[in-house]
Parts: sequence; C-alpha cells; structure tokens
Amino acid sequence: MKLGPKAAAAAITVSAALALTACGGGATSGTAAAKTTSLTLGAVQELRSWDPAQAHVGHYLQPYQAAYDSLLLREPDGKLSPMLATTWKYNDTNTKLTVDLRTDVTFSDGAKFDAEAAKANLDHFKKANGPQMAQLTAVSDVAVVDADTIELNLASPDPSLEFYLSQAAGLMGSPKALGTEAIKTEPVGSGPYVMDKAATVKDSQSVFTARKDYWNKDLQKFEKVTFKTLIDLTARTNALVSGQVDATLLDPKTGKQAEGAKMKLVATEVDWQGLLLMDRDGTKNAALGNVKVRQAINYAFDRKTIVDQVLMGQGTPTSQPFGKASGAWTEGLENYYSYDPAKAKALLKEAGFETGVTLDVPAVPGFETQLAVVKQQLSDIGITLNVGSAITNTYTSDIAAQKFTGIFFSLFQGEPWVATNQIISTKALYNPFKNTTPELQAKIDAVEKGGKDAGKLAQEVNKYVVEQAWFAPLYRVNQMYYHNSKVTVEPQVQQAVPSIYNYSPAK
Amino acid sequence: MIRFIFKRLANELVVLFVVSALAFFLLYLSSGSVARNIVGDQATPEQVALKQTELGLDQPILTRYFDWVVNALQGDLGTSWFTSEPVAHALSTRIPVTMTMVIVAMILIAIIATLIGVAAAVKRGWVDRVVQIGAIIGDSIPGFVIGVILVTFLAIQLGLFPATSTIAPGVDASAWVLSLTLPVIALLINGVTGGAQQIRSAVIKQLERDYVRTLRSRGISEREVLFKHVLRSAAPAGLTVLSLQLIGMLGGVVILESIFALPGIGPMAVTATVQSDQPVVMGVVMYTVAVVIVVNLIVDLLNGWLNPKVRVS
Repeated sequence: MKLGPKAAAAAITVSAALALTACGGGATSGTAAAKTTSLTLGAVQELRSWDPAQAHVGHYLQPYQAAYDSLLLREPDGKLSPMLATTWKYNDTNTKLTVDLRTDVTFSDGAKFDAEAAKANLDHFKKANGPQMAQLTAVSDVAVVDADTIELNLASPDPSLEFYLSQAAGLMGSPKALGTEAIKTEPVGSGPYVMDKAATVKDSQSVFTARKDYWNKDLQKFEKVTFKTLIDLTARTNALVSGQVDATLLDPKTGKQAEGAKMKLVATEVDWQGLLLMDRDGTKNAALGNVKVRQAINYAFDRKTIVDQVLMGQGTPTSQPFGKASGAWTEGLENYYSYDPAKAKALLKEAGFETGVTLDVPAVPGFETQLAVVKQQLSDIGITLNVGSAITNTYTSDIAAQKFTGIFFSLFQGEPWVATNQIISTKALYNPFKNTTPELQAKIDAVEKGGKDAGKLAQEVNKYVVEQAWFAPLYRVNQMYYHNSKVTVEPQVQQAVPSIYNYSPAK
Repeated sequence: MIRFIFKRLANELVVLFVVSALAFFLLYLSSGSVARNIVGDQATPEQVALKQTELGLDQPILTRYFDWVVNALQGDLGTSWFTSEPVAHALSTRIPVTMTMVIVAMILIAIIATLIGVAAAVKRGWVDRVVQIGAIIGDSIPGFVIGVILVTFLAIQLGLFPATSTIAPGVDASAWVLSLTLPVIALLINGVTGGAQQIRSAVIKQLERDYVRTLRSRGISEREVLFKHVLRSAAPAGLTVLSLQLIGMLGGVVILESIFALPGIGPMAVTATVQSDQPVVMGVVMYTVAVVIVVNLIVDLLNGWLNPKVRVS
C-alpha cells in the first residue's frame, strides 16, 4: 500500500485526534466463548524462497508446513508417521528405501500427487543447491516403480534419511510449479493451507487460508494462519503481549515480561552450548592433544551455577553433546564431569601442563556473558582463555580451514546420525582437524549401517567422545516459546518452534 | 539556474560512481564464504564450489564490477543471493515504507521546529529556556529508546496503537496510519528539539542585524518583519539543519523499523549486511547515496531561490 506524504500527514493528524479521544481501537479482544478460527504466529525469520527445495530444518520448516505436505510426518515426540507416504521399508543392506504413496492427494493447482511427482520433487531438491541439499547426498537416484511407489537408491546407508523425509527433503510441491519463478513467491503444494497472495506482504506477513477438500482435516485446525515476520526480539515480545500474535519465540529475559502478561510457556531443550575442543591431535595447540588436559577443562565448570545465573535457570547442566530425544543420550553421561577444580588441577599436573595452557577461541556475539564465565572458571584451574576477534560471515570457512583450535558455540542436538556428521565424523564441519581413531571409526560405521538401531549404536559414539573429552558441553538450553490462552500448543522435540500441526484452538 | 543544476548533477554522478566502486571492492573483501553460508553447514566442498560458480564468485573482481556497472546502468541491480528476489523489486517495495515515514516526519519537524524556534527567539525568557532544555534532553535520548517507551505506554498499556505495524494491502488507511504514528513520533522528538534550537539561533542572529532595525523604523509591522524578512534570511541555516537531520534519520529509521516490524529498507539492509548479500547491500548503498544527493540538491535549489547570491557563487 502506498500513501503519499500529504495524505499520510493528514491521516496522522486524524489518528492523533482519534487517540486523544480514545477511539483508536487497539488490540481486539474476541468474545471469550467463541473458539478462535485464526492463528497468528510471530516468525523469527523471513523465508528465503517458497520453493520447497530452499526449505530449511527446525523452526525454519514451520511456514513450509502450511503449504506443503511432507512424505513423512514427524510427531511431536519425534516418531515418524505416514503422511504422503503410507509405508516405507529398507532392504537388508539399508541401501534401498521403497516408499508407498497416497493416491488421493492433489496439489492446489490441480496437479495430481503420484510417484512421478514425488520423483520430480526429490530430483529437484538434489539439483537446486538449497541450504539443506546435503539431506539427499546419500541418495544416488530415485526410481518410479509404479504409480504409487518409488525407490530411493542410496550410494551408502544413511540412518537419518527417514528423518530428512519429514523435513526439507520430504516437502512435495506441484510438479507443474517446480523450477518456475512463481513458486519462489507463491508456494504450490498439497498442504492444509493455501497462500492468500493479496494479503501477503514480503518481509511483513504471509497469510494462508484453509484449503477446501484437504485430505486430512485433522491437520487443518484453523481457517486462517498468518506468519508475521518479527525478527527483532523486542518487537516479538511487544506483539505477543499486546495480542497481535498468538505465539512466538522469546528468551528467558523477555519471557518474564510475557509471563507477567499471563502468557504460557512451552519450553523445549534444542541446543547445547559449550566448548568444542577441536584440535584433539595437538596439531596447533599441543595441550589440547592430551586427553587429560581436555578432561581437566571439563572438570573446571560449575555447570549448575552457570545455568542458574546466566540462563536464569532455563536449561539443564550436561556433559554430553547428544540430546535427550536422539537415542544416543545416556543417563550416566549426563553428569560425567562434575565440578571438581582440584581434580582438574591434578589432571593438568599429571599431563605435564600444570602451567602455561592457553586456549584461543573467537568471540561469539550474544555470548559475551557465557565467555566471561568460561574464562573465569578456566583461570581458576590455571588455564588462560584468550577470546579473539568476533566471528564474521567467514566463520564456517574459517573453521573448515582449521583457523580455530577451539570454539564456544551453540549447536543443534539433532538425530544421532545428523549430529555425528555435524560434529564427530571426519566429514563433519565441526571436526576440522578430522580427528578419529580406528576405535571411534568402527563405532561410527556401526551407526551408519545400523538402520533402526542407529540411535542405540550412537550411544557408543557418545560415550567415546565424552570419555575422550572431545567437547566441554555446559548445558542444554531451553527454548522459550510463549503463547496466549486462545490457542494450545504442543512442543516439538528438537525444534525451538513447534510444527504447524501442533497448534489448535483452545477448548 | 539550469547550468547550476547540471553542474551539480555532474558532480553527484562522479560521487555515485566512486561510492559504488568503493562499496563493491570493500564487500568483496568481506564476502569470503558466502557460498558456504548459503548451502549450509553440512554441504560438501563440491556443493560449495557449485554455488560459487552459480553466483559468479569464481570470476575476477574487475570483471564482476564491470558487469555490475553495465547492468546497473540498464536498471538491473541483480538478484539477492539469499532470497532470489530482484534487488530493484526489493527496493521498490521497501523504499515507499521508509520514505513515507521519513518524509512525514520531516514535514512535521519543519513546521513544529520553525514555530517553536521562532517563538523562543522572539519571546526569549522562559519559553527560550524551555526550548533550550528540551533540545538537550531531546538530543540525548536516542530515537529507539523513545520508540520503546511509546510502545510500552501507548500500545501495550493503553492499547491505543498497535505495538508492531501491520502494513498490508486491503487494510484500511486508519489502521495503517495508526501503525506509523508511533515510529513517526519517535523520529519527530529528536528532530524537533534539535531543529528548533538551530532555527532559534538563526532567527536571533537575524533579529540583531541592522536591516531589521531599519525595517522597524519605517513602521513595518512586527509580523511582516518576522515572517517576510527575518525568516527568509534565517531559512538557509534551518534548511541545512533539516537536510542533515533527514540524512541522519536514515540511520535512526533502521532500528525503529526493526522495533515496529516495518518492512522498510532498514531491516533488509541489516540482514543483507550480516549475510554479505552483495547485490542487496549494493542496492541499499546506491539508494542511500541517491537520497543524500537529492536532498542536497533540493536544499541548494531552495537556498538559491531564497537567496539569489548562492546561484552566482
């Protein structure tokens, strides 16, 4: 909408007059008894593109779920259920996944969903070089068996493939629209909602309305869904407290304000924060090559006090890098390294590094308090932490180029194979020195070939990296998702923001 | 006058060219791993290389700059590396939001600051002191702090205005105006207090000049002296201050647009800079330089119109 300066000036005068006479309106309060039919969410990010091949994981996935169904549906507890795929099965060597598809689904442009459409989507995803293209790296080709069956042939087993088919790689767009310019701004899927293009404004809001004759009414709980782009945390807090949005993601501090306004909290632990001691062979920092030094670092932290004071209690102290829902999480590793500065000093002495251990990490914007606490507690056992210059947009390539021997970071606690390839395997970006041992590699290989047992087998990987102190995790941090009383919200495992299916009108 | 305008425009085109080259080469230095950032943490080196080729990042920097200039001269500012949105389109949807806010604020600042400044200069005494104190307070509180205070009281506690803006087609004008009111007030307070102070000084200086005494001695009414002669002579100083404020406002607007969730240039500029989205950053830089050039040109023209001596010099 454009408004000339003259008209705007006149209108502002009018609005001021309205405000003075208290007729300006403001937050509309619906009748208490009526069940809400609309859902307005404060989105933390504007989408790059509505092309499903450009979709992302975690909370970036939510808006795509309004327009697109995925092959598999991920339940709030992480279990995978049928969606566009009815059944799926691996062969004995976990190198071929046969997927049966629904036959009663159409896209919003009238195109029919079938095996050809599914293949077109997977091929498009592999080619489009989107931010999650790696999800289908293991898939060498997709074959159409019959009208409602496809086969995904894998170059090597990928225990996270089924998870990926419930994420970006599983989103199905209309084959007629894939690859066109139009789909970048207007999604064409088979999902529960269709975009109201006229009411949608780039960088401001995306509006969706319920699709008539949607095949699964259970997933379609609102007449209208709006994603209001609110990148700024203050803006999100204000919008929630004043009733402009029904739910949004805040942080512990702004959460207090929301609680004051009677908003409800849905807390989920998604990321862990701590040190990645990356130079485990001591290539650039000899001290880090000694397991006793790495263990000493782990004993230096009073994790509970850090959680209470830095996170205002919104987190859980932990010594392991795998999350609770991953299957690799082990109770016994949770408190493997207790706070024991005396033991830390003794370990440093045994290792011959009683004095002179220095760690260099880059400064991470937003983590100033955490870094100050880490620095303090390390200095108590005689280790100097040098916080270097701030990370820049060359951060990831700097990590890959072995520029840092250690970093303090916040990392996603994903599925076991996802996490392994993110921080542990020799292919992992966050294992830039490509550290491994035959013992560890054997455990990783077992996970790769483990199929359904991958999570359990990853417990061995977890145990190994905790004992070898590859990392110094401090805590898992709570994501503070708040909503008002008009809607009920079920948290989604491993996601800061729940999936779109987890919202329903309050009863 | 026309020669004057052409001469100025020629100078500004050189400025535009130099700024574009500087910005392009500086961005080149900081855009090291853009391809990696686009394709994600888990991408293989081959995927990163593919993206680099796609974006033309494997070309020599001079070739890339030459291509950019040739395209820009034809009105094509490229496509965002992250959103695939054409930069010219992105600018065209966001500039109206930002400029409406800035222009409305400027008009109000010009009117209110002039009235207050003249009142302080003529009345002096307590009015003057209040204006001076107000200028100090207004200057020392950043616009975004005023914005947050306004939201807390007027939007959240009293519910008179929306806490964040809803700008959408089909929304009635009053909702849209309500959305813009708080950010505009936040912009106004700084501008008015600073502007009034400058206009006050300029008017006082004129009031002390000999020609004012002469006019008064000829029996010309005080009102005519003030509004026809004094204000006209004081205007160039006021205009310069206003133009500087408008340019300064482009910075303040960035934070206000984020707080009020307005889809203007500001949030786009911040996101693009953080991501090293070079085509978008270049577009924003060009837009900012263009605004500065146009504002300066308008001020010069107005000054020339008010004071013919400027044209000759």
